[in-house]
Amino acid sequence: MLRLVKELVIKDIRLNGRERYAIYSMILYVLCTSYIAFLCFEGRIDDRSWIALFWIIVLFTAMNASLNSFKRELNQQALFYYTLVNPHAIILSKIIYNSGLLILLTLSSFLIYSIFLGSPVLAFLPFLGCLILGSAALASILTLVAAIASKTNNSAGLMAVLSMPLLFPLLLNLIKTSQLCLIESQFISVGNQILFLALLNIASVLLSYLLFPYLWRD
Amino acid sequence: MRSYWWKILGILLVLYSIIAGFLMPVPHMEILNETIRNLYFHVTMWFTMIILMLLSMIKSMQFLNGFDAKKDLKAEVYASTGMFIGLLGLTTGMIWAQFTWGTFWVNDPKLNGTAVTMLIYLAYFLLRNSIENEDTKARVSSIYNILAFVMMIVFIGILPRMTDSLHPGNGGNPAFGNYDLDSNMRLVFYPAVLGWIILGIWISQLRFRIKSIEINNEKH
Repeated sequence: MLRLVKELVIKDIRLNGRERYAIYSMILYVLCTSYIAFLCFEGRIDDRSWIALFWIIVLFTAMNASLNSFKRELNQQALFYYTLVNPHAIILSKIIYNSGLLILLTLSSFLIYSIFLGSPVLAFLPFLGCLILGSAALASILTLVAAIASKTNNSAGLMAVLSMPLLFPLLLNLIKTSQLCLIESQFISVGNQILFLALLNIASVLLSYLLFPYLWRD
Repeated sequence: MRSYWWKILGILLVLYSIIAGFLMPVPHMEILNETIRNLYFHVTMWFTMIILMLLSMIKSMQFLNGFDAKKDLKAEVYASTGMFIGLLGLTTGMIWAQFTWGTFWVNDPKLNGTAVTMLIYLAYFLLRNSIENEDTKARVSSIYNILAFVMMIVFIGILPRMTDSLHPGNGGNPAFGNYDLDSNMRLVFYPAVLGWIILGIWISQLRFRIKSIEINNEKH
């Protein structure tokens, strides 16, 4: 099982490595939105707006990035995969791959965003933890929603509508954690928030693990 | 009296809660005054909605267990009745808020939870309408229903405990264990909850029957 998951993740990295423009387009997307934010605020932005805008940019980048996760597995080559591997391995490998991708994208967005708009973050390490756990949780929820949306005719439009309300608790928590990270030495309260993020992560991975096999079988 | 005794019980309980709710003595409190009677109608709606959504999720789980199309139809019907009851709860809550807090809508974790719940279930109905194939539709929307219920519970059950709220039992309790309900109010409140839950289930059953007849007619 673990070996299978590893093989599938490597396969995804190879296949998407060939289509490198997809990742470049994500980076370009972050560059453009950050620059628009910079132009709008003329470089002077208060902390609340900084946090809100940052997470909105991350949210839409994540949604774009995970939209096409299943374009091969559930449509064109579904029957082929069906004979080869079991669904648990597929969903786990997708979550791992998407988490890795989103962590990279979120970190680079943070970098680009703070180049243009500065960074008010004082407690850097907790914020980094929040970024990593947050993008992993985003990835695990968005992966299952992408699988659901790929079953419909209008997957791109439906993806946003289906995932946004589900992501509210996560986003609110991320924004709250980031606000705590603006003040130094708030480790206890940040710890609580990060624990919540970790629990949400585990819950969404478990749900995907349990529910994906039903989606897979046609 | 064989199988419909619970429907009569439901009607009697709701009737009792309306009559007693307006006539029984209530504690006198500042700001709230007589609006406290809204508790019998507003809070009961939320209890009923959660129960109906829970039933909907259970039906979805049962559907995934045996792929019986009836279960999926039941899940949809429970969700739509729950949504309707939820809208009633929202309306009564907004009117109450206007007279106690001064506005129809405030930034409060519980109100945000409500808004998100409505959005989630609207997305669920949208998803159902956007898939042509009946089998795929039932399967995909069951999966989304389960996911949606879990996220809703996270939102309205856990997050409010972590922040402050205007609602009673602030910053801790999403219900109202230490709320100043006196014994007179309990006497009306608990029967009201039960009555409305029964009524909600009854409405869902009727809607289920109508829908299955419609589906049958389409086939012939």
